[in-house]
Amino acid sequence: MAWISLFLLMVSVRAADLPMFLTKHSNDTLRFITMDGRYAYVQKKPGVLGLVSSFRSVDFLTDSGQSDFLVKGSRFEERLLIESIPNVHTEYNLLKNHKIHVVDWGNTVTKEVGTGKASRLHLEDEWVTYFNPLERSIFIQNLETQKKYAIKLGAKSNPFFVPEVEMINQNTVVYTDTNEAGFSAIISYNLLEGKSSVLYKSPGSGTKIELCQHKTYLAMGEFPHDGVSRGSKIMHVTLSKGSSNLAGFEALYSSNLGDLGNLICRETGIYFIKNLTNAKTAVSKKMEVSWIDLRTRKVEVRSAMDSVSQLVEMNGRVLVPLRGDFYVVEGKFNIGTDILKSLPVDSKEELPLDL
Amino acid sequence: MLPRSWPSQFFKSLLGTVLTGLCLSVYSQDTPLATGAGTVYPGIIETFEKIIQIDSAKLQNARTLLTKNGKVFSAADTVTALDLDPVFLNSLILHSDPGYLKLASMDKCRFYEALLTDLLKSSEGKVKNVIVTYLASGKRETAVMSKKDFLDKVVSRECPQTQKMISLFQIKTLGAVLKDTNFELPTGAQQCSNIHLEWLNNPKTPFLCQIYEYGKDARSRVGDPKEQAQKSAVAKILESKQTPVQRDYLETLCTHLDDERSFCEEFLNVSFWSKVSSGVKEKVYVEDICRQLTGGTVPSAATLETCLARIRKENDLCLFPRGTNSALSPQPECDRLSLALNHSSLRSNYQDCPGDSDQLAATNLTRIIANFTMADLKPTKGPCSAISAGEFFNFNKTYDNEENWTLEACYTDKISQREICTKTFFGEYGILPESYTLVVAEILKKTRGADPTTTCEMVDSTEYNPLLLRYKSGCFIIYQKDQCYLSECKHKILYNDRTVDLIKIKNRMSIHYFPLNVRDERFSQHYMLTHDFKKKGTLLNNLTSINRYFKKNKTGLIHGIGCAEDLLPTFFKSQGINHCQPLPFIIDGVIYSEGKTAFVTRTAVDSLQAPRILMWTHIFSGVKTYQRLHPLKIWTMYGLD
Repeated sequence: MAWISLFLLMVSVRAADLPMFLTKHSNDTLRFITMDGRYAYVQKKPGVLGLVSSFRSVDFLTDSGQSDFLVKGSRFEERLLIESIPNVHTEYNLLKNHKIHVVDWGNTVTKEVGTGKASRLHLEDEWVTYFNPLERSIFIQNLETQKKYAIKLGAKSNPFFVPEVEMINQNTVVYTDTNEAGFSAIISYNLLEGKSSVLYKSPGSGTKIELCQHKTYLAMGEFPHDGVSRGSKIMHVTLSKGSSNLAGFEALYSSNLGDLGNLICRETGIYFIKNLTNAKTAVSKKMEVSWIDLRTRKVEVRSAMDSVSQLVEMNGRVLVPLRGDFYVVEGKFNIGTDILKSLPVDSKEELPLDL
Repeated sequence: MLPRSWPSQFFKSLLGTVLTGLCLSVYSQDTPLATGAGTVYPGIIETFEKIIQIDSAKLQNARTLLTKNGKVFSAADTVTALDLDPVFLNSLILHSDPGYLKLASMDKCRFYEALLTDLLKSSEGKVKNVIVTYLASGKRETAVMSKKDFLDKVVSRECPQTQKMISLFQIKTLGAVLKDTNFELPTGAQQCSNIHLEWLNNPKTPFLCQIYEYGKDARSRVGDPKEQAQKSAVAKILESKQTPVQRDYLETLCTHLDDERSFCEEFLNVSFWSKVSSGVKEKVYVEDICRQLTGGTVPSAATLETCLARIRKENDLCLFPRGTNSALSPQPECDRLSLALNHSSLRSNYQDCPGDSDQLAATNLTRIIANFTMADLKPTKGPCSAISAGEFFNFNKTYDNEENWTLEACYTDKISQREICTKTFFGEYGILPESYTLVVAEILKKTRGADPTTTCEMVDSTEYNPLLLRYKSGCFIIYQKDQCYLSECKHKILYNDRTVDLIKIKNRMSIHYFPLNVRDERFSQHYMLTHDFKKKGTLLNNLTSINRYFKKNKTGLIHGIGCAEDLLPTFFKSQGINHCQPLPFIIDGVIYSEGKTAFVTRTAVDSLQAPRILMWTHIFSGVKTYQRLHPLKIWTMYGLD
């Protein structure tokens, strides 16, 4: 138990009530908003996604079904992904495929790239990956060349499993999978050779593995599922340009409690949801947003909300969604005020939207 | 011998009664607890022993005196203020099991019944004669009365129902009585408390405990050996009338009548796996878990026993069950699963494969309907999820809502050149004509001139072998099990060994669970449950209202819809802001732990046999987030009863 005590000493608490995210838009309709709040994607009505900017609003994307929309960006700010989710309120289906559209950052012309879910942009937003739960396949597509690859997952222990995918370079895809006995693993797949190798295999069953990536490193976190008493750990490996060598994951953090995870990789550290409950088997768990510094490996608790269950990143802003509201962990929280501002000096910051 | 529960609060209060009785007794020759000048007080135990000795002597003296004086009670009509003699009463209190005393203290009739069924004992053991006091010609008299006379002259007049009970609890009728008696298994603390109280007030309880005591007596083999043989024979007959579950239940009840906490602990804290092992709960709860030991085949009775022993020791064994019932996994660990199942009341004696469901509303609603109707589920053929599709279709058909069933099988009628569509669901459920097998057969009769007796059979593609003779003639629907859901099912139709491609599936199952607009409110499933199915719906949006609901409804069910990302955050990760995958769920139990309230919950993706323990904060957050995104912004969590 000595190492646990030592670990606890390393956890410093800077917990606070997080500020609520305030915008000019209704929280229910908001689907994406840029860091400065100038451009917002809103669900105008079922099947219609609107873009609101500079007191103008356009119907950005329309869908024949009663679709809901999910809008995602990446740190590269080259493109946006839009998932159109059909019949949200009449077809209760967690295996449902979504229509996936892509749009260039600052453009209004969308292009459908496929059907699936859990889409992600990679490598300067040149690549998109998504998962088709019915075919149990990960699709990897180059948005410039339209080259498309597919990786079929192994036997299913959980029909609702959705893999995490990261691309290390043009040829290497890293993804998570589980075997029939419930052991998770990280697999590296070479697109050119069509070969895969196991980078990491979980020592116990009943856990999930998450991946996240930033400029110089790839991180993985292993956390137990609900109802399973296992510990948690976060590891990382430094990425060198052009190399696909992923050997040598280095431990950053470990705990004998079941954390929730939801890794968000930043330049100097990683956000995750940490379990602050004392007892390992407690029914009630206190979950808070925490930050682990990559250099010092010190863990800081960043929230005091008791029951954080999700953590999302949107154009650099880190948010906690809770009971229909959003709380800001990182980034400006109030972008709902109207102050006359001069145009940004850096033209890149302004989206040259063709409205 | 001292009463076995002398330190209890109940015994303390009884002791007060006894002491008062002894002190005030008119028969007292001396003060029972009076001590001489140099008396040493060695301890309370010795004082109790003294009380018991004194009581014994008093009762014996009283009886001897009454018999000697010929004081035998005869005419009940001419006397008034008839009561049990305090000496006799004190003796009963001192020598009876506290549980039976508690039962006897509920009301006068329970007291008489406990006395008649030999549950109450005096210093002489089983009560043969009763000592009564009464006023005759204005004078208080005391007399001995046989138990039979006591029944005829006193009990029958004051408690007419007791006589009825005696006639019911005869060897000939016992089987039927036990069958009619509700041996309700509690699934929650509040419900258990109510059940315990109901048993104390139930006129059957003294007679049921008499059966238990008789069996116990016979097994102990104490007393005259000649009587023992007869006793054993009767006990054997009595035992044969009870099921093992009833026997265990009676033991728990009769040994914990004075201790509600222990009674409830026996039911709620005993491992659920022990209940399966003893036959109290069905084997379906462990069958798929135990398939891990058999490589996937159905486990034998012996394997199940070995498996149950392992489940109690290996917590991980429950995580990944095998078998055909696909659902969200890992399931909770065995300890946690046992706790959840002990507090759960939802009907779970069938499998419905939520992992093969692409319409979780149908899965969830079927679970609710099956729970309330408790009717036998009809035999199913084809995909495992057909049970949900069939029962759900039947429910909508019963309440004239099949109009809104959108999934159809269509073909073009060559004569009229029209497309003809029939409402259907994949699989076969009883003889529902909308079963896909029957719909296809009907279409073949109309288009291919198939024989009027033609039927179709759904065959799993992994079992289909084109070389087998049985597939050469007749109608077969070959479906791919891993791609067969409620709304779509990858399959091909073979009729007389030829592929039939004239049938097209149109649309998907579209369900309004809660109202999505005011105009169509009456077509929503929640509306049908509360208006047509006549279940009272109570809106529950805070902990107080839920606790109140569970106190009032012992086996209540709460149904609702919340976002999967909030309900089960370790399984479903939010992909962006306002990302919500609506997930129906059922709550059927409540657990109070560490000052917090948790709920026994089955989301529609969970196996019926594997509920989870979810915190209120997660459930509230899930429903609240969904409310924000709902077209009518309505709260979607209701209690049904």
